[in-house]
Amino acid sequence: MDQSLTRNFCIIAHIDHGKSTLADRLIELTGAMGHGEIRQQVLDSMDLERERGITIKAKAVRLNYKAKDGKIYKLNLIDTPGHVDFSYEVSRTLAACEGAVLVIDAAQGIQAQTIANVYLAMEQNLQVLPVANKIDLQAADPERVLGEIEEVLGYTTDDVLLISAKSGQGVSEVLERIIEYVPPPSGDRKAPLRALVFDSHYDPYKGVVAYLRVVDGVIRQGAGLRLMGQGTVIEALDVGYFAPDPCPTTELSTGDVGYVATGLKSVGQCRVGDTVTTVSHGASVLLIGYRPAKPMVFAGIYPTEPEVYHDLHQAMDKLSLNDASLSYESESSLLLGNGFRCGFLGLLHMDIVRERLEREFSMSLVVTSPGVNFAVTTTKGEKIEVVNPFQLPPLVEIEKLEEPWVGISITTPSKFIGSLMELAVEYEGIYKHTEYLGLHGMPGELGQRVRIDFEMPLRSMLTVFYDQLKSRSQGYASLDYSLIGYRDARLSKLDVLVNGVLVDAFSRIVPPQKAHDVGKAMVSKLKEEIPRQLFKVPIQAAVGGRIVARADIPAIRKDVLAKCYGGDITRKRKLLEKQKEGKKKLKYIGKVEVPKEAFLSVLKLS
Amino acid sequence: MSYAGHNSDIPIYINAVKRELAINATGQRIKSIYFGGGTPSLLTVAQLDDLMCAVRSNFALDGSAEVTIEANPGTIDGEYLSVVRSLGINRINLGIQSLDDKELKLLGRIHTAEEGREALQLAKEAGFDNINLDVIYGVPGRTMSQWRHMLQEVVSLTPQHLSLYPLTLEGDEPLCGAISRGDVGELDVDETADQYEVAEQILTSHGYTHYEISNWARKRYECKHNMAYWLGRSYLGVGVAAHSYMDGCRYANTPDLDAYLAAFTSHVGNVREMEEQIGPELKLSEAVILGLRLTRGIDVGDINSRFNVDLLYQYRDQLEELVALELVECNTKDIKLTPRGRLLGNEVFWRFLPK
Repeated sequence: MDQSLTRNFCIIAHIDHGKSTLADRLIELTGAMGHGEIRQQVLDSMDLERERGITIKAKAVRLNYKAKDGKIYKLNLIDTPGHVDFSYEVSRTLAACEGAVLVIDAAQGIQAQTIANVYLAMEQNLQVLPVANKIDLQAADPERVLGEIEEVLGYTTDDVLLISAKSGQGVSEVLERIIEYVPPPSGDRKAPLRALVFDSHYDPYKGVVAYLRVVDGVIRQGAGLRLMGQGTVIEALDVGYFAPDPCPTTELSTGDVGYVATGLKSVGQCRVGDTVTTVSHGASVLLIGYRPAKPMVFAGIYPTEPEVYHDLHQAMDKLSLNDASLSYESESSLLLGNGFRCGFLGLLHMDIVRERLEREFSMSLVVTSPGVNFAVTTTKGEKIEVVNPFQLPPLVEIEKLEEPWVGISITTPSKFIGSLMELAVEYEGIYKHTEYLGLHGMPGELGQRVRIDFEMPLRSMLTVFYDQLKSRSQGYASLDYSLIGYRDARLSKLDVLVNGVLVDAFSRIVPPQKAHDVGKAMVSKLKEEIPRQLFKVPIQAAVGGRIVARADIPAIRKDVLAKCYGGDITRKRKLLEKQKEGKKKLKYIGKVEVPKEAFLSVLKLS
Repeated sequence: MSYAGHNSDIPIYINAVKRELAINATGQRIKSIYFGGGTPSLLTVAQLDDLMCAVRSNFALDGSAEVTIEANPGTIDGEYLSVVRSLGINRINLGIQSLDDKELKLLGRIHTAEEGREALQLAKEAGFDNINLDVIYGVPGRTMSQWRHMLQEVVSLTPQHLSLYPLTLEGDEPLCGAISRGDVGELDVDETADQYEVAEQILTSHGYTHYEISNWARKRYECKHNMAYWLGRSYLGVGVAAHSYMDGCRYANTPDLDAYLAAFTSHVGNVREMEEQIGPELKLSEAVILGLRLTRGIDVGDINSRFNVDLLYQYRDQLEELVALELVECNTKDIKLTPRGRLLGNEVFWRFLPK
């Protein structure tokens, strides 16, 4: 197999700019699948992903393309996660390629993740081929977008192809460009094997299937292999490529992209970014460093019925087989019972996991507010990581409290700048920089577009910030962010007491100036949700012993069956039996009877 | 006895009821009869007489038995009542509900306040001297002063017995529409509780004994028929959907008229919609729960001997809790609900259900 006829490339883009549609079109054009066989966005293999129109798991497809020069080229298309939550996975995928087709929506133009993806591609020294997509749309404004691309990314009009992935217009030109401009893989067939793991997937029959880009050497079926970073030893049980269905072969050669079935039990054992070599006469230098993706968002996940905890545990285990970036550890709350403190790459990741648990595993869940990892330095000099507010040591023992910060960039039409800057400041953002994009003309409603950079505590960004961003900009603004380190946190611990009893599950860490509002909201919610008891119940929110909000639930005055005559006795007795049964389902805060729903309403993700 | 159906079917129904009485004939002593339902006042005097005779021939009706008929104001005839009285029916239950015309309309009642007063007057003139009035409280829109006023008026009508009930809505009353439109406030549990307490005050000060959660009476005019329920005595119910408690078995007749008629026209016997054996544990539980409804509460010694238990020991945890919550008063002789406990009765009762 002539290495010079191989091209390894991927498609990168902001969400919904047409990455997956283009992938489908390329697959169709190269005959890998007939037109009728294409399910919408073939490369997505989970229902959930198809519904949401996003990809989580990267896949690689080998396309055989007869170019204009008459030769048959082997094009390996690697589909990448598009969301910033998964940028770690994106960059590992890029490392497996020599080129990237950058798709930009010809109506929306350059968006936050367009830029983020280009930076990643440049980091990997990829040849970037920009295309402006969706030129078939009414709203498309190619002239304006080409101007933006030149202004921001430096590509001239000639560099950019105009296409419609939906209709197929211009797509065969994309293939020609790939062949012309993307270099073939370099790499030495005779050198010791080095292959990059750019993705992995757990299959119940084959174990972990690793997606690999062979850089040097070859992988033969049956070979004894070793993961250089993790140290795991594996056997190449099956070796092959996707076209897009799996095609087993005897060998993946230099420059090839394909899969190896390892027989391993979980993707955690075969981490993305690691280098595979042979057990005997193996390589000594890793291809690239790798680091496990760090979770950025946390939430507590509890089963609504405590008896079901083990099912939840099993479900989490199963999910993690295919999701190396899902982290979870056992946690328990006096009131919710046993559950998990989970770490996600971002809100999208969290949402997906939650939906999968609820849908695929039929779990009924309570998801508590997401929190961040705080870094506490005690007066004794100890450094501890605090995940749950109630783990915070007493104030007097805290020398320093720090929290993670993110750098955010908001890309928006200029008319929303004022409102969005206000929003960022409201969420404790610190203004850093403004960059003007797209100076050409004022077509349509979009006007001039701007990117504004802020720094803000991750905690602020975790809840409704993104939602607010969208609604203040009529949906046009987009957000990108990355962790920039830990800074001093000026925060207080807000506690909630029900009838004088501190309820650990309700404790929150809030900015002191928000303590009253958050406290008041929690207190009134509880007053609404907790039924009246046989005694008055005070509900209080407190910061360090000082009450910041309070409400009282008055004692119940009346609960009696007024009529109880001959025809009623059995029926009314059954009502009392139901009342008694109902008590069993109640949880208790001290002597206060609290239905599960009351907890859920306060603890639920707001 | 109860009935709900076409007037033309009444004679057939009466025959079926007579047959049911005959089938259950035991010659036992009867201390009270209650004609309820339904609308007993739809029966002709002859039909009532027929039924009274059927009772007398199958059972031993006490000379001093209490015999009650229910009647609704607005459907009452003075002469009818006199004749009814002469049949030996010596107590009458009038559902006046309210003495405010606006309220009566909202509650979907067909009579006016004046008709209510009239009904009472007619009953007295017909010779009834054991009269009960049903009155509703906790009606949205009724102020406390209006309620006091209404109570004073009720008292001035000098009934021997009063049953007061908090408003419950089925959903088809005009009041429901008024509430959802916002013309009138929602039912307010606290206001209802307040009105109950005010009723207690006023009725007591006028010489009525509050003898059961919802019932007041002048001395010796407690409703004997209902007392049987609260004291766990046996009762036989005849007619469609009637309930009985005989030989430790509680059962209900079918609510289906046709099925009932079929059963008793052709000697098939009872067609029961519900049947429940009340074992010793449940009997004890019910004795406590029903007995506590009475203001005098339950007699510890009596319960202990009837059920061969040590009540204060068996329920010591519940009693301790309830005394601490001030819902119940307890000593070696008796256990009773406190005034606050009467309003919160359910919280007391469920604790005495069998495990």
